Amino acid sequence: MDFKQRILTALNHEEPDRVPVMGLIMDPATVNHILGRDNPDISAVLQQPESRAGLMQYMNASWYDIYCGNFADALEAAIKLGFDANWTIYALMQAVEDPQAKLGISWRDVHGRVWEMGDVEGAGLTFNYSRPLCITEDEWEVWVADKGPMFDELVKQTASFHKELAARYGDRIMPIGYAAPGIFENSWQPIGFVNFTHMVYENPDFVRKVVAFHTEWYLKCIDAVMQSDVEVVIGGDDLAQKTGPLMRPELIDRLYGESYRRVSEMVHSRGRKLIWHSCGNIYRLLDKFIDWGFDGIITMEPTAGVELGKVWEMVGHRLALIGNLDVSYLLVRGTREEIEDAVRQAIRDAAGGGGYILSACHSHPLVDGTRLGWMVEAAHRYGRYPLA
Amino acid sequence: MTDDLLERLKLALLDLDLSSAVALARSAADVPDGAIAAQAVDAVSQALQTVGRRFQDGEWFLAELVYAAEIAREMLSVLSPQIDSHAAKSAGTIVVGTVAGDLHDLGKNIFISYARSVGFHIIDLGIDVPVHTFVDAVRQHRPMALGMSCIMTPMVVNLERVVAELERQELRGKVKIIIGGAALTAKYASGISVDAFAPDAVTGTDIVNGWSAEWTSSSGS
Repeated sequence: MDFKQRILTALNHEEPDRVPVMGLIMDPATVNHILGRDNPDISAVLQQPESRAGLMQYMNASWYDIYCGNFADALEAAIKLGFDANWTIYALMQAVEDPQAKLGISWRDVHGRVWEMGDVEGAGLTFNYSRPLCITEDEWEVWVADKGPMFDELVKQTASFHKELAARYGDRIMPIGYAAPGIFENSWQPIGFVNFTHMVYENPDFVRKVVAFHTEWYLKCIDAVMQSDVEVVIGGDDLAQKTGPLMRPELIDRLYGESYRRVSEMVHSRGRKLIWHSCGNIYRLLDKFIDWGFDGIITMEPTAGVELGKVWEMVGHRLALIGNLDVSYLLVRGTREEIEDAVRQAIRDAAGGGGYILSACHSHPLVDGTRLGWMVEAAHRYGRYPLA
Repeated sequence: MTDDLLERLKLALLDLDLSSAVALARSAADVPDGAIAAQAVDAVSQALQTVGRRFQDGEWFLAELVYAAEIAREMLSVLSPQIDSHAAKSAGTIVVGTVAGDLHDLGKNIFISYARSVGFHIIDLGIDVPVHTFVDAVRQHRPMALGMSCIMTPMVVNLERVVAELERQELRGKVKIIIGGAALTAKYASGISVDAFAPDAVTGTDIVNGWSAEWTSSSGS
């Protein structure tokens, strides 16, 4: 059985030859470690105004190539460690001078978010959502009216990105195309959560307009992912925080349910599988995920109290499950024995009869390549079907 | 009459009815001498505690928690000018911030809203707060508690550095430390020298409230 058959068999809730392993590798620090390269000190470059301007110009001119190169490296790293699949994600942003940003530069995405780089000692840079750009209804209207060409460009580049990576690496690993962020995040993050919450209660018609706008663009992005040979698609929205959903599940369903069903229908109509990513404590949303037509979920954060065995008891074999290996300690500083124990536990909890793909719950620059390798090795050793 | 007004004020907040809640707060504020305004502030605080309990019990969700805090903020902005500031009793001072390298502020801000609603004086250091800024604020403000938020796992190390620096400067014993955020767990908190971990802003407020009486009596304030 090859990597592709292994993944698809598990997603069909049948037992492959062994439990598949998926990588969420994307951070250059992790990639460079796995590929035996040094981490460039981009932070030092950004702190010099002259070199910052040059770097900014280069990044804006070469954004697509840089992004493609990063994920090509991520796929190489995942192949080297023996993963069956790895996620691939495209985002379109523009670097601008920004006195508010710590490094004097920030990135604006097409939806109206500001992203900033942070410096993690010993692990290079992180790239994080920083603040909204469209905090009023008028600002949002102006933004989306102005950015039409950039939305078109995002869709075009998304299609080309996934085509290119699937063509280059599809015979050695399964690239799983992730269209991120999703409709929920794209609607609230450019406005800010507090402002958006005001709008939900005070001007629901405007919120419905925002959701409808982002639904249409998200469907185009999902379609763009599927123009490639990608057979499994990830959709994603962080719908929950540490203790539960960000909004009442019925409210999320009322605002976003129909959009999510349309995403599922589109993916299924092309014969693909749809996996959903959400951080946070997602127990109260599991029934909704099934109702919205998702085939599986990825993440299941232990730091948000999500236990794989409990999720399996609630929705096992109704949703395929991917993830749950801890990245706060285990895959950062854990011992080989601890990682082997965690892998065996995950397999015991969720892999019976297929339906589980082993993976870290998330990625960040301190996730250690050596430990990811131990995780894969343990999965190969203990994940052979029939399970012991 | 007053009881009815206060009850309606609470219900308006619990119904998440912004316009009614603010109108009722104005009615309370318009009564001369500020007597009802002070009671109305207490009523807002009680309603927010109900919101907090509903959140902890899983009946309410983050958006409701946030919006209730927003309504309360608007109500208090109407009521507070009518109250004799000398009569208002502080539950204590808390220095709050998100650790260096972390730009998230939602959880921190919700905690601030709820802690203020029960009478804490808050020094908000903002996001991406360097170690020395936390330490300087503890030295300068002598707070009852220091609250640190950390959402991103790679930045957890900065939280540990604040604790270590407070210890080095012999300030650790003078302040309680509470931490919260997506990157943290109770298990992690028990492994470092902090006093409490809060899984959410409401629980965090409950914890600092519990410390308040002890601190008030020991500090003689």
